[in-house]
Amino acid sequence: MLWGFQLEFKQSLRTKKLWVIMGIMALLYIPVFYIIKRFGGQDLTAEAAMTFLIQFVTGTAGFFIGILALLMGATAINSEIEKGTLRVAMSKPIKRLAYIGGKFLAHSVVLLIALLLSTLIGVLGVVYLGAPLSGQLVEDVLLLNMLLLLAMIQLVALGYILSTVIKSSSSALGAALVLAFVMFLIVPNIVSYMVYKEAMDSPNPSMSDIEQLQKDYTTKYLFYVPTSQVGVITSDVGASSDPDMENLEYNGMTYAIRHNLVNFGIIVGMTLVYLIVGFYRFTRMDLR
Amino acid sequence: MLRIENLVKVYKDVRALDRLNLEVKPGQVYGFLGPNGAGKSTTILSLLGLVFPQEGRIELLGEEVFQNGRFDEGKLVKAKARIGYMPEHATLWEFLTPMQTLDVIGEAFGIPKTERGKRAKELLQLVNLWEVRDKKVGKFSKGMRQRLLLAQALINDPDLLILDEPMTGLDPKGIAEFKEIIREQRKAGKTVFFSSHILAHVEEVCDTVGVIVKGKLRVEGNLDNIKREFLRKAGYTIVLETNKPVDFSGTEWNVTPLGEAKYRIVAPKDVREEVHDFVASQGVKILAMQVKEPSLEEIFLKMVE
Ligand SMILES: Nc1ncnc2c1ncn2[C@@H]1O[C@H](COP(=O)(O)OP(=O)(O)OP(=O)(O)O)[C@@H](O)[C@H]1O
Ligand SMILES: [Mg+2]
Repeated sequence: MLWGFQLEFKQSLRTKKLWVIMGIMALLYIPVFYIIKRFGGQDLTAEAAMTFLIQFVTGTAGFFIGILALLMGATAINSEIEKGTLRVAMSKPIKRLAYIGGKFLAHSVVLLIALLLSTLIGVLGVVYLGAPLSGQLVEDVLLLNMLLLLAMIQLVALGYILSTVIKSSSSALGAALVLAFVMFLIVPNIVSYMVYKEAMDSPNPSMSDIEQLQKDYTTKYLFYVPTSQVGVITSDVGASSDPDMENLEYNGMTYAIRHNLVNFGIIVGMTLVYLIVGFYRFTRMDLR
Repeated sequence: MLRIENLVKVYKDVRALDRLNLEVKPGQVYGFLGPNGAGKSTTILSLLGLVFPQEGRIELLGEEVFQNGRFDEGKLVKAKARIGYMPEHATLWEFLTPMQTLDVIGEAFGIPKTERGKRAKELLQLVNLWEVRDKKVGKFSKGMRQRLLLAQALINDPDLLILDEPMTGLDPKGIAEFKEIIREQRKAGKTVFFSSHILAHVEEVCDTVGVIVKGKLRVEGNLDNIKREFLRKAGYTIVLETNKPVDFSGTEWNVTPLGEAKYRIVAPKDVREEVHDFVASQGVKILAMQVKEPSLEEIFLKMVE
């Protein structure tokens, strides 16, 4: 397992995908923080800053690193078959499960590094805004990263399945990109539209009613989109009783997870399912 | 050393191996011949568990690695520890240097670090890549990649060397060097199994050849025996020139006139003396008599027809 890990880790850190996507993401962070600072970010409370940080990282890192994870997974196996390196590797006394396990571990570590980097930029951004940082920061940021990592792992595993089904790595790359747009943009928007319509049909919808509806629909119809599930969880880190989100109360990550155990369970469950299917397919497939 | 029984491999709609039987004995250098698409690579990939056959039995180095439609991964791993494999058209990790590549491969065999370095040096010198040991494989030419593939197959000093078209992409010098390496392996008592679709490649180094056509082993044995067998089947051809026409009626030979007093005689065995006597009995003088032996290439083409 260690052998496959070391090899894949070195290889993953060298891929263009990783650095291109990280670069785009970093470029996106800069204007966001700049704009917030220009337009009244100064009086941000510590609570609001934390809530913003967590939700912003969930949205941005979830999207970009999510695409990265899917692409990484989708080309993980087929590209190695095309190059022939997989046949070399698997002709050595290494078991298939150990090899794919090592590869998976390497991908997870690379994704964690990407997440931590993006969180770090986020934290720097909040500091730049001049918001006071609360003591809970480290713990919650770590919890958030673990949660996002779980979501990313699910996407990598989904990618592995694609990689064992689609022979050509370039087709798989295309399919993964389409899938990413469908999962992260199209379907969530359709669901939001459904929520909007449903709310319009009800006589006197309150803000919290709509929020609850959005959560229910996301849980029900977007169970296969891990980033949306993380979104449901992190939507509870901060709460405010008044509509302008003025007196924001910070609940923290532990609270948010505990209050959305169903969504947490969905993420874990789907991840396990994809991993088992992907690994099983790899151990039984022709490597040519 | 290596035994394949009734192996069947079907890709979606192609029956690549059709009850293949094959055996390689310890110490043999076995040339596995066949035209394109015959199933050579499929056989080799099956041996190593890189593709999954549907039926049959595979025995590798005394381990029964495949039976009843499934591989025994434990036994396979055990066998692989003593096997060196060189795939056909493959590249190695482009971002590694030859030195790093051999180090990584050596690690997979659990060879200690210092030992790996020593072995890597020896092998890179053997395949003439020592000067470029610190260059990235991504910048290598086809032939250089091929040499590195051979080197990585030798890192564990394997008892069984399985090579899939090892000579493609090598220049004549490279081919000569490769053949020398095979001869050394044989001298060291190792077993070599390698595929090719070019007869000349196996001719000088192999003691045994097998010819696979459409997933079945057509012929197997010593090259000289195959040649003799072929002559027996295809017939023995004599081209005869005489000073006067000859009447061949009453003989059992298959005679085709090639000119006024020139004939091609095909018989099941060497009939030079009989022909000589027969012609003399008609009072005809022989101007030239030539035995036409088919080239290996011709035999090969005939066999795969
Ligand atoms: N992945 C695949 N899917 C479907 N058919 C395949 C696949 N791989 C190989 N085949 C078919 O299996 C048969 C045997 O192929 P194989 O590669 O074993 O032949 P080969 O003897 O190695 O040929 P070559 O000399 O060209 O390397 C061919 O008919 C080929 O088309
Ligand atoms: Mg082949």
